[in-house]
Amino acid sequence: MAELHLVVVDPSGLHARPAARFVQAASRFSSRIVIRENGREADAKSLIALLGLTIRPSSEITLAADGPDADEALRALATELAPYVSHAG
Amino acid sequence: MGLVLVSHSATLVDGLREMVDQVAGDGVPVATAGGTDDGRLGTSAPRIAEAIRTALRAGASDVLVLLDLGSAALSLELACEELDDADRARVRISEAPLVEGAVLAAVQASVGASIDEVVAAAEGAVTMTKVPRG
Repeated sequence: MAELHLVVVDPSGLHARPAARFVQAASRFSSRIVIRENGREADAKSLIALLGLTIRPSSEITLAADGPDADEALRALATELAPYVSHAG
Repeated sequence: MGLVLVSHSATLVDGLREMVDQVAGDGVPVATAGGTDDGRLGTSAPRIAEAIRTALRAGASDVLVLLDLGSAALSLELACEELDDADRARVRISEAPLVEGAVLAAVQASVGASIDEVVAAAEGAVTMTKVPRG
């Protein structure tokens, strides 16, 4: 399983528009992709699951992908989130 | 897959359409039926029927209707009776709250989901967390 650790830097957290773009981007891949924050996990292809995490500014998040296009998916999602996050550690 | 937004207020659904377009992108046809023919608050069966036909003409294979409250449901029922059988068979009605349901449905529709998946996404709005607990 490929993983990527990020910190949300946008002052609004992961708000509706970037969350929707993220879900649209994740849905293009066949891998199972999840986003984890503070011990909780959401399906990256579900906007409701993602918004349900209520990801705030400074939140540390982990993207994890499992499947044939996992690495490609994480690269694409990191690009999608680039304006809103910094890379952790 | 298209959406029809029904409200007592034309201003409300115009604003909601703007929000849906911005969040989900403009790949999902969205038609609105807000207010009465003479610009008052209320719902109008002919306006709802026309909005459904507009969404179908815009290329939507199916249409999910989201509505606000009260008489909107009665007007929608009358609007469906006005449609011909072929159009009526392509209409689904959502129990979801209008604003949240519309955004969730549009994003789900934008990734090419089936109508059942779009309906389920919208209805997830009922139990969605908005403010983190604890």
